Amino acid sequence: MTLSETLSQVELFEGLEPEELDQIASICEERTLETGHVVAKQGDVGDELFLIWEGLVEVVHEETPEDPAPRTVVNLGQGQVFGEMALVDYGPRSATVRVISETVTLQAIPRDAFLEMCNSHNHLGYVVMRNMAADLSFKLRHQHLIGR
Amino acid sequence: MAMIYKVSYVVQGGDHPGAIVNEDEKPELGKKVMLGSNEFEVVEIVDLMPARGDFSFLHVTVKAIEH
Repeated sequence: MTLSETLSQVELFEGLEPEELDQIASICEERTLETGHVVAKQGDVGDELFLIWEGLVEVVHEETPEDPAPRTVVNLGQGQVFGEMALVDYGPRSATVRVISETVTLQAIPRDAFLEMCNSHNHLGYVVMRNMAADLSFKLRHQHLIGR
Repeated sequence: MAMIYKVSYVVQGGDHPGAIVNEDEKPELGKKVMLGSNEFEVVEIVDLMPARGDFSFLHVTVKAIEH
């Protein structure tokens, strides 16, 4: 299976045409990381979006003066996206993301190339941003269910 | 293309944060699932949002399996 065909199985790219998936594939960079590796650090500047190809990561809210106990808020596995908040709002990373499976394989997408692609290809940009909003909504619903 | 199930797993009791994972097969009541290195049993399945394209969105409650 090609990278473009595999990308079609990621919700973020649901609804894109094959040639649009090829464009996304052209800016992806695959990384394989071992357990304990910190992919993103809370408070750091973030300029990449990540897709989880295989494996599991934990998303941790680090201690702050207001919240002195670090806590894992969710684990993310195959097909999930993280790093999207810093990508769209240019703010610092909102949480630390750490590999908790033996290894994890990611596709990293650089922000500038990604946003340029969304700006210059209206259909691609609309679909990806719609799906990103749906993914954030899903994560919010998950958090609501955790607190039931 | 076969359906992809995007699942929000919530763990009953304890402090496990749950997980969000894509599954190739629809979870079933009573079946066992692995979240990382931990094994759980499915006790509830609910449609979280309407399906879109090849994606179905589920909320699944699980409980830890005592060994």
